[in-house]
Amino acid sequence: MLVCGWFEGFVPELSFVLLVMAFPAALIALAVARDGKLGPLCLPLLALTLMLEVCGIAMLLLRGQILEAPWFGGFPVAAAIQIYGLWLGPLLLVALAYGLTFDHWELREEDLRRFDARRNRSDGNTEG
Amino acid sequence: MTPPVNLSVVGSAVIYLALVTGVGIWAAGRTKSAKDFFIAGQKIGWIVTAFATMSAAFSGFVFMGGPGLMYRVGVASLFICIPVGFTSGFLCWVVGKRLRLLAGLREIYTVPDVILVRYGSRRASGLAAVAVIIGTIGYLGAQIQALGILIEMVFGTRAVLGQWSLPAAMILGCAVVVFYATAGGMVAGVYTDLFQGILMVAAAVAVFYYCLHSGGGLEAMSRSIVGSEVFGPSHLDPFGTLPVMTAVGFFFVFAVGLLGQPHMLHKFFMLSDPRALKWMPLVIGLTQSACVLIWLGIGLAVPALVAHGRMIALVNPDQAAPQFLLSFTPPILAGMVFAGVLAAIMSTADSFLNIGSAAIVRDLPKAFGRRVPNEFFWGRVAVVGIAGIAAVFAFLYQDLIALVGTFAFGTFAAALAPAVAIGLNWRRVTATAATASMATGMVVNLGLEFLSKQTFLDWLPSVSLKAGVLPAAVSLSASFTVLLFLTWLSPAETQPDLDPDVEFVMDL
Repeated sequence: MLVCGWFEGFVPELSFVLLVMAFPAALIALAVARDGKLGPLCLPLLALTLMLEVCGIAMLLLRGQILEAPWFGGFPVAAAIQIYGLWLGPLLLVALAYGLTFDHWELREEDLRRFDARRNRSDGNTEG
Repeated sequence: MTPPVNLSVVGSAVIYLALVTGVGIWAAGRTKSAKDFFIAGQKIGWIVTAFATMSAAFSGFVFMGGPGLMYRVGVASLFICIPVGFTSGFLCWVVGKRLRLLAGLREIYTVPDVILVRYGSRRASGLAAVAVIIGTIGYLGAQIQALGILIEMVFGTRAVLGQWSLPAAMILGCAVVVFYATAGGMVAGVYTDLFQGILMVAAAVAVFYYCLHSGGGLEAMSRSIVGSEVFGPSHLDPFGTLPVMTAVGFFFVFAVGLLGQPHMLHKFFMLSDPRALKWMPLVIGLTQSACVLIWLGIGLAVPALVAHGRMIALVNPDQAAPQFLLSFTPPILAGMVFAGVLAAIMSTADSFLNIGSAAIVRDLPKAFGRRVPNEFFWGRVAVVGIAGIAAVFAFLYQDLIALVGTFAFGTFAAALAPAVAIGLNWRRVTATAATASMATGMVVNLGLEFLSKQTFLDWLPSVSLKAGVLPAAVSLSASFTVLLFLTWLSPAETQPDLDPDVEFVMDL
């Protein structure tokens, strides 16, 4: 039996929630940064991080308070936070941020010209 | 499950199986090279790719297992599927662009190909191929088993064939998938995935409507559940029925672990143009979310109907979806959903047949410095071979294959996600760090999962993690940690000399 007793209790749970919710945005930041800058993705990534973190903390704080807490959008507020805050909110935020910043940050015309030139130089595919 | 044999269900299943077979025949004429076979000739547009990615990602679990799990543990189960809110963009940002650009510059058909080009290490690439083969056998075996059970249920073959019913049903389902995957390779795979994806979305949205209709709306269903003695308030508390470590662990594994799923990463190699990535997250996210509606809808409606006394409490929670469909939706929709479940299973299975075959025909030989002369021909042979192996495992070791299937996602995640996701975005990651990370991920995940759940070998010790910590979360964390620490600890003189194409792609 592996003993992982240090995972029990509010502080370890909160720490785990904070780490897990921050990790995706940190990986995205690593991938999209150009010269250490996030450009137009700075705000959407900040918003995503805050959205995930705030929802995670709120669900943790509201645990066991379904009967006392208010309702929103057809659900007790904790479930509403989970469904609207962790699922539907990020869906629109991330998909729109990706599409709307794609041409001037993710893959710019200049990048594509360089890519096409390199591909033509290497005469199509070479051995992988 | 109760065998719901009725003409609508049987008719839908027959029409569906005939249509995917037709797509296989059509695609066979368009598959003329290894590039066509493994990555659909790199000629696929963004909508088809997006649907193929979505339908490959979702197996029958979303349609049948998900509602059952929600019946059992409430909204806590949604932590498995709600990461779809951001994972499509996450996937495209972190790996999608670089995978597609690399595949445009080099002959890259598989994830181990990417590992080989990125790290220049046959050992790392070979280890990735081993992870792909282990996970593929597990995933595929579980899909074949599920396919057999579903076909047996739809056609009611047990009454006729007795003990031979399940093997016969598995052979029938497997034969259809193997036919179109062998004949048409990935061309057949993506176009059947498109059809299957549309069917899955339409079925899920229609069922959600009937869930709202039968339960009186979201709030009425929620209030019935909260007020029920059987379920109670904890059923609608995200952390009410599962430990926080389990619930948030699901979120971690199914969000971050996605970066290591070869059946999803593989789709980026097929895109005709890197510009096509632009709206893929929107389409993938919306279609995945539409499919998740069936999980949420049935997961709320059935407990609410039980609370109202309109359904009897389920002995087996996995009956939630079939019972609801057969009792509260029109027969034609029930038939469509059963076809949708077949679609979900088959679309996942065909992706694994292709990547498993590529791992055997391309990746493992390359790891030993060899090439198979006619990859196209041997790729087709390998599809049949890998399906046969998975089917035999699924039949002979039914419990074991179900077990392996459940941790295949975690195996891929722990073995491949750090090496691919961090490696494509951070130059300092060395082949040694990537290899150690992959080995750690595989060993820790397989070891923990196997020792915690196996009942086959009495003499092995039982390992269980306290406080609901998931083995997959531990192994994924461990493989990330190993990769990051070994990279940070590497002295400057061991920093890798990157391949010029890799360096170019990492610069963009």
